[in-house]
Amino acid sequence: MPALDVKDLTKDYRSPVKEPGLWGGVKSLFDRRYKDTRAVDAVSFKIEEGELVGFLGANGAGKTTTLKMLSGLLTPTAGAATALGHVPWRREAAFQKKISLVMGQRTQLWWEIPALETFRLNQAIYGIPEPDFRRNLDELVELLDLGEHLAVPVKKLSLGQRMRAEMVAALLHQPQLLLLDEPTIGLDVIMQKKVREFVKAYNKRHNATIMLTSHNMTDVVELCKRVIVIERGVLLYDGPLERLVERYADHKIVRVRFHSPVAAADLRPLGTVVSAGELLAVLEVPRDKVPASAAALLRSYPVADLDVEEVDIDDIVRRLFGGS
Amino acid sequence: MRKYLVAYSISLQETLQRRSTLIMDRLGGFAVVLSLYSFWSALLGDKPSFLGYTRDEMISYVLVINVLRALVFTGRGWQLVGEISNGKISSYLVRPISYHAYALSLDLAQKSVHVVSAFFEVALLAAFIRGGLYLPGHLSTWLLFALSAILASLIFFFMEFIVSSLAFWTSESGGPLFCFELFLQFAAGAFFPLDVLPEFARRLLSATPFPYLVFFPARIFLEKVSTGEAARVLAIEAAWLAVFLAGALYIWRAGVSSYAAEGG
Amino acid sequence: MMELARKYFRIWVRTASMAMQAQLTYRLGSFGFLAGKMIRLLFFFAFVVAIFKNVKEVAGYNLVETALFFLTFNVVDMSAQILFRGVYGARRIVSEGDFDFYLIQPCDPLFRMVFSTVDFLDIVTLVPVLVMVGMVFARLPPLGWTRYAAYAALVANGVALVYSIHVLVTGVAVRTQELENAIWIYRDVMFMGKFPVDVYAPAVRWALTFGVPIAVMTSFPSKALLGVLSPAWAAYAVGLNAALLALSARFWRGSVAAYTSSSS
Repeated sequence: MPALDVKDLTKDYRSPVKEPGLWGGVKSLFDRRYKDTRAVDAVSFKIEEGELVGFLGANGAGKTTTLKMLSGLLTPTAGAATALGHVPWRREAAFQKKISLVMGQRTQLWWEIPALETFRLNQAIYGIPEPDFRRNLDELVELLDLGEHLAVPVKKLSLGQRMRAEMVAALLHQPQLLLLDEPTIGLDVIMQKKVREFVKAYNKRHNATIMLTSHNMTDVVELCKRVIVIERGVLLYDGPLERLVERYADHKIVRVRFHSPVAAADLRPLGTVVSAGELLAVLEVPRDKVPASAAALLRSYPVADLDVEEVDIDDIVRRLFGGS
Repeated sequence: MRKYLVAYSISLQETLQRRSTLIMDRLGGFAVVLSLYSFWSALLGDKPSFLGYTRDEMISYVLVINVLRALVFTGRGWQLVGEISNGKISSYLVRPISYHAYALSLDLAQKSVHVVSAFFEVALLAAFIRGGLYLPGHLSTWLLFALSAILASLIFFFMEFIVSSLAFWTSESGGPLFCFELFLQFAAGAFFPLDVLPEFARRLLSATPFPYLVFFPARIFLEKVSTGEAARVLAIEAAWLAVFLAGALYIWRAGVSSYAAEGG
Repeated sequence: MMELARKYFRIWVRTASMAMQAQLTYRLGSFGFLAGKMIRLLFFFAFVVAIFKNVKEVAGYNLVETALFFLTFNVVDMSAQILFRGVYGARRIVSEGDFDFYLIQPCDPLFRMVFSTVDFLDIVTLVPVLVMVGMVFARLPPLGWTRYAAYAALVANGVALVYSIHVLVTGVAVRTQELENAIWIYRDVMFMGKFPVDVYAPAVRWALTFGVPIAVMTSFPSKALLGVLSPAWAAYAVGLNAALLALSARFWRGSVAAYTSSSS
């Protein structure tokens, strides 16, 4: 039986519409207007136990809504889903003990007191026996390198430390299904890497099924063999990442800053010039040509600074499906 | 000057728009008035007077309290604490605007709404109660009362400003503000006339500014003081106002410089 | 069943201890709030005593009896405040997303909303109240143990009624996320419970018994102790409680259903 079995999952919601201005405000007191939006439109997929799947899409595409439905937080308008054999929105305790939802930049840790206190609270909530609690805690703290930070009030932790502590809190009960919504958002590069490594290790160690949304292409590339792309509520792609990347993100972005002006025309052999100023240039360079182009730039031009970036996932999706 | 009028008008709109907050506030105040009225009514029963207050006078006292509370105690102390804590006031400090005048405009707008509502509530209650009200006959009484009420309102504004300014130095100024407000309401006579208290307590309180916020203005309204005494009350109020105005400006300056020193 | 009760007790103790630790980091603020609450209590008590220096009885009750009413109000109100304090943060919990965590975790979200932040400062203020209640008991003529049992039962009944109201308010906070003042209106209207319900005009008494049942919460226990409450009224109190508990539970379930189908 698949860990996640989703069929025609649909979510509509209505939001009140207010006209701007004072008169609009007065009118809205008497005549409530609503806007109906279809956040998720008949999405279907199956995920087997132990898979690590990336869930991609632009902002507002429906990723978070889907994750919320799979965690039981939202009730769908139509369609069906089972997760680990349960219907999520029934919110049965047996189901809740096996899952975890981590939302980037949101924390369940109590602010003024050490994270360890919140861990103890979760121990009581999930009914984790003391030996299991100790073992899980030690393992997580080691994997996330949190040793000295447990006894410090959460408000004194940096964002990176807080996020890691958040992960500990979310995983103390060793969930079999892990839903991660933008777990690396706002973190610096080193912290992102740590979180990624942790997710990979957790997936391997416990054969946990993991669904991850991210705007960060590196997250996706490093962690997910399979991706599901959703745009405006509709599932557009469900398959191996390589094919997605190959087809649509066949290039990287190279940003250069020069000491002295360089003509854009000169740069054209190295790649497609997206934008060029007096001292700046942004190029799109095919993947396999990146090392050569970078070397050529450094060799032949007065380079002050050079950056090589992955294409933003949003751009890929936008390009992919021509919309937005 | 114009900018303060604009601030006034915006705050007015805002107060009206947050309808549910407004209604809740007024309803809460109304519950207090109703309780006090009922209590005094029951206490006075058929007695001719209590501590020198006839039934009509006592009822009037209660209704006057409602109006005075709206005029004097409706404040933005909590908002100010919030704005200092989250740094919002920085944006005002760099603009060519006197924060005090600005805050006063916002405050007046809020008070306008509440006072109007208080009048309506009082009129409503007056229509339903048995017996009469005490209404002053002389025009001079109304004028003196209005003057003392306005002074009281300004005194409280600056008092609250000082306590709220604690937020410059601590993030926990909510507690002291809460304590201040509660103590004030009792000491000002906003729950019961201070005549209820023993002589020594009354003498002690008279040396403080608190009774001048509600109790003395109410007594002016009930014409329990001669015109000469009323003038004295006004003079003392003016003196307290000067004290708190100076205090508020001083603390503000101190607070702002310590605020800036920390880099906001 | 026992296992479940133990689990929830453990969670309650845990969150209470966490809340206490969090409180202790705010010393100035905590002191301010504590001082404010003590002031309110003491001032009112002083007021009651001072009144009765000048008058023998109010609405048929003498000093000791009126004190009983006032203190009983405080017992019910404070117990409810201690136990159900979580509700005051309900809107923030929903708007900041903590409520989502409550829904996902295997612990009843209503339990977490209502019971999670015990304010141990309120326990400190409850102690003098209980002591004063004891003093009042000592000054009453000997009454059978059945009366005291009825008193205790009706106090518990009153607290349960307050619980239902808090559940309704929490449901509103979850449903609308806009209405933040429902709980403050409860607190304001509760003011009316400080006085024995007999002081109020018949129409108001009716509203306080059958509308917002403050009289049932705060006046009934004292009346039962003094022997002026008929068994019929006591039965009404219990029946009302049962009905409100059921109604509020239903409303809560509906609120959760609305939340999980409307938010995004």
